[in-house]
Amino acid sequence: MRSAALATGAALVVGWPWAAPRYFVFLASLIAINAIVAIGLNLLSGYTNQLSFGHAGFLAIGAYAAAILTIRAPAVPVPVTLLLAGLVTAVVGLALGVPCLRLEGLYLAMATLAFGFVVVEAILSLDWLTRGNDGLRVPAARLGPWVLATDIARYYLVMAVTALLIAAAVNISRTRTGRALLAVRESEIAAQASGIHLAEYKTLAFVVSAFYTGVAGGLFALVVGFLSPDSFDVFLSVDFVAMIIVGGLGSILGSVVGAAVITTLNDSLAGLQNYRPLIFGAILITSMLFMPGGIASALGKISGVRSGPRQGEDR
Amino acid sequence: MTWAALVHVVISGLATGSIYALMAISLVIIYNATRTLNFAQGEMLMISTFVGWTALRVVAAPLIVALLVAVIAAALLGWLLERLVIRHAISATHFDVLIITLGLSLMLRSAAGVLWTHDEFPFPSFFGNRPFAIGPVRVAPVSLGIIGASLALMLALGALFRWTRLGRAMRAVAQNQRAARLMGISVERVYSSSWVIASVVGAVAGVLIAPVVFLSSKMGLVAINGFTAAVLGGFGSMPGAVVGGMLLGVLENLAPLYLPASIKHSVPFLIMITILLVRPGGVLGRVARRKV
Repeated sequence: MRSAALATGAALVVGWPWAAPRYFVFLASLIAINAIVAIGLNLLSGYTNQLSFGHAGFLAIGAYAAAILTIRAPAVPVPVTLLLAGLVTAVVGLALGVPCLRLEGLYLAMATLAFGFVVVEAILSLDWLTRGNDGLRVPAARLGPWVLATDIARYYLVMAVTALLIAAAVNISRTRTGRALLAVRESEIAAQASGIHLAEYKTLAFVVSAFYTGVAGGLFALVVGFLSPDSFDVFLSVDFVAMIIVGGLGSILGSVVGAAVITTLNDSLAGLQNYRPLIFGAILITSMLFMPGGIASALGKISGVRSGPRQGEDR
Repeated sequence: MTWAALVHVVISGLATGSIYALMAISLVIIYNATRTLNFAQGEMLMISTFVGWTALRVVAAPLIVALLVAVIAAALLGWLLERLVIRHAISATHFDVLIITLGLSLMLRSAAGVLWTHDEFPFPSFFGNRPFAIGPVRVAPVSLGIIGASLALMLALGALFRWTRLGRAMRAVAQNQRAARLMGISVERVYSSSWVIASVVGAVAGVLIAPVVFLSSKMGLVAINGFTAAVLGGFGSMPGAVVGGMLLGVLENLAPLYLPASIKHSVPFLIMITILLVRPGGVLGRVARRKV
């Protein structure tokens, strides 16, 4: 059953570029990139209850790191570029995560929100490196002898990286580390009493989350091909939060579903720019009020499979 | 720079600071009652100001009537949002309520864009704009007006909290909700009143600041500075909110004189991050320890 579902999914992903028009290949790449961010954010928010409104900032750091590397050193193969983008972002995540250990709940939310603003301002003021408001054009990346110049080539790159990162996340969540993170979410004090080093695991969650988002940022730079600071505003961070809320906190499947739902919705509402936040806000409120576990837990209830643990009470 | 110019900068800093203080107070009022940060506070301010402006435009009402209309609209809006949305989520986690108010803020801003467009509109002021001189110092009446009106409102709020039954109930709920309920206080009524009062304070702040920053769907962003102000003074404390607001306003106005222009816009955020990391309890506050 499980392997059949996986095989169908894999066949669908591989066959998609031949079945769908070009634009939808691009859209699928975007969904996968957002899914990586959503998984990263979920590892932080869903697993250790640290809400972040600054993930657009991490995405921007990864994207600009990858873009600048591709421009300055065109010969570097893509996997190295992406890895470096992830590592640079992870270092920033560490630098933000360690002091943020002192904060919880809404203080952390506001600190990360402020971080997002500061990153955008930093991109604007470092214009010798980032070209500020003019934006940065990203050349096609290379993988050995191949140049990834078409949407389809980039699609396969994105899908391969996404599959790898999903598998890694699933594995993290099943190990001692994953269970420790969940324990932190359920009750920090109880977790500490059970011998879980709080600071260590919360920092780890921050770093891993930033790494995922940085890699996604690198892919974003390659797929979209043009970066400007206003694509990383606070509303993008809100979109990421919406993805994990709608998809399901603490669920990896939920992150992917949430990313697909929100990205598709965003795309189909592009013509209704004025009503988009109205609809988004309504979705956020209704899913919080009526579907607190997100789509993942709703699906789980229907099929009887427990796809993700429900969010714990924290009062 | 001469000291006269410095005084001028400080006074206009205090004027913006008063608005931040009012925003901080409304955030703290709601936080103390329902233990949640209201992300929609700025958008509630913006909507009420727009309603007042509509009264001004449509029936050519005098400014004082526009203020009243804005205040009434704010009270209604606060009451409705609390009854229809927040009350249903009150048993949920902070996290959930935070997301819900975030959703509300998106919806309100978008609704304002649909109703009134996303343009900027001029807004008349109670106070003149032509600066006058006190000795060598040039002062804008609008700055003094904002400071005076805000201080009056803060004093009124202080009196409300100190001497009225409702104020005592609100303070009791802020201290310990369960004990307050056992003492016969209707906690639900405190929720409603808190949202109404916070919303009304926001409306007054909106009418005061709209002539300076223009009326637009974006003006709700001032709430972020309100939060910074509240954190600066120690989140949860009313005097802290006032001190934090004034301090933030002055710092924000002084910083561009000494810092490179490119980081000017980051100043409030950098202040927020610094204060959260260095002294999370705020300048006046202390760090609350949570018991199991």
